Amino acid sequence: MAEPNKVDPIHQFQITDIVSFGEGGFGFTNSALFMVLTVGLILIYLLVSTGRRAIVPGRAQLVSEMLYEFVANMVRSSAGTAGMKFFPFVFSLFMFVLVANMFGMIPFFFTVTSHIIITFALAILVFAVVIVYGFWKNGLKFLKLFVPSGVPVYVLPIVVPIEVVSFLSRPISLSVRLFANILAGHITLKVFAGFIVTLGALGWLGWLGAILPLVMTIAITALEFLVAALQAYVFAVLTSMYINDAIHPSH
Amino acid sequence: MRGTEGDGEEKRVREQSQILKEKIARAQGQFAAETASAPRVGAEMTGASRAMRLGTEFIAAILVGAVAGYLLDRWLNTAPWLMLVMLLIGFAAGVLNVVRAASEMNRASPPPPGSDLGPGRDEDED
Repeated sequence: MAEPNKVDPIHQFQITDIVSFGEGGFGFTNSALFMVLTVGLILIYLLVSTGRRAIVPGRAQLVSEMLYEFVANMVRSSAGTAGMKFFPFVFSLFMFVLVANMFGMIPFFFTVTSHIIITFALAILVFAVVIVYGFWKNGLKFLKLFVPSGVPVYVLPIVVPIEVVSFLSRPISLSVRLFANILAGHITLKVFAGFIVTLGALGWLGWLGAILPLVMTIAITALEFLVAALQAYVFAVLTSMYINDAIHPSH
Repeated sequence: MRGTEGDGEEKRVREQSQILKEKIARAQGQFAAETASAPRVGAEMTGASRAMRLGTEFIAAILVGAVAGYLLDRWLNTAPWLMLVMLLIGFAAGVLNVVRAASEMNRASPPPPGSDLGPGRDEDED
């Protein structure tokens, strides 16, 4: 790997085994560790904060209730009351992505959502749910999703493939968006922070110039916190909109 | 004497229950309007995330179209025709995705009342 003084913005995304079982490449990696930590933190926080079930909530319980209300309103406004069946699913996804993103903002922590395989697995999970529930609830009428109403029959051979490709592109765009935002943000942060060190090697003039990347680093850190929360929100909103398609398969 | 007092009481109760009924009806109407309105999603998004959304929607559809065409070509031995066709279909699907996402965003944040939106359709009939 790179020498210790060199700036290496990709190094933070390396997956290393913490415990490996045998030589088959099977191991408990740092990515897996942070997934466990994410789920653990969510579980412990929600259980402890709502454990007292106070009618007048304390601060911790209030945060839990606000998270619940926030996601519940989101599901209700995009998928209707029928969509509330999927509230636990959307809430789990939202909390996982949010906490994983926020963990990524702590120095030396691994960012789970910066690997596309994780976000793609989440997106595929959403689509498995949409497709299975869509067919189970609507039967073959679910295929109406690909046949927009009010289109003359002779255009259907063109429109239906377009709709199918549009549907298939959703898991890709859903996963790429989350992964690309987090990856790009973390690399930018590392690069600007690296400039400070590199400029510092030039002596006092360098340290003076290093003020500029320092300001940028601080600004980008704030922006990254915003992006981390926003991408979790976007992921959950789109999930509930796709679930709405499964419940009402007509455009 | 007693009868008229009872009548007054009954009238008052009936009036109150009438008012209550109206209040309930109004609240129900409000709730229905809130829940039945078209999805208003994404009003909270920032400009950058909207741009990101539109970009990924567009590119993902093209990628899916091209890859699907490539795989179909390999399966049916028709290279390169299906890939070309599917690339174009992916392009169309990308535009469709972008139009849908943009109209969702427009619905989520309608222009404030009284803002000047330029000449309307009914105004430029001449």
